[in-house]
Amino acid sequence: MFHARVDGHATSTVCHPLLEGQIIVICTPIDENGKPTGPPIAAMDPLGAGLHSKVMVSTDGTAQRLNSRSCPLRNDVIGILDT
Amino acid sequence: MKPGTVIGTVTLSQGAPQFQGARWLVVSPMSADNLKTGKGYSDYSTPIVYDNLGAGVDTPILYVEGAEATRAFDHPIPVDAINVAILDNISFAPPKS
Repeated sequence: MFHARVDGHATSTVCHPLLEGQIIVICTPIDENGKPTGPPIAAMDPLGAGLHSKVMVSTDGTAQRLNSRSCPLRNDVIGILDT
Repeated sequence: MKPGTVIGTVTLSQGAPQFQGARWLVVSPMSADNLKTGKGYSDYSTPIVYDNLGAGVDTPILYVEGAEATRAFDHPIPVDAINVAILDNISFAPPKS
């Protein structure tokens, strides 16, 4: 899990069936001062985080596998940070 | 899951039996600059990605690396990266400063 900032969104028509209907956000991993620490990643966002909000991202597929055991997806927004 | 641009394809003359009918893409992971401008290629190393969606060259995709990639199959398969989405539109606007 790491902190990230939501920097954008992506849309897709042709995708894995389990990605259908999910919101895809593009996140930049950040350190405690808000400085980027790596290249942008994509994550599913069931919480509806807004642009530039700080979020907690899980890089494990477990959250997705709660719905389906055959899910290849990982990177989930699992929390929106207040402070 | 990472955004990447398809920069080529790979064909195999021989491969693991599970790979029969597989399609392979050479993918350039997108950097923040690529996402901002929507063009160009990063200098990150380029993974080979399993594809069953039919992505063409120069298409932006999302791919998953790691053990999760094998979960899309109902049989064991030695795959480490899989294409999960062909992207229609990407908006990327990091805050200025």
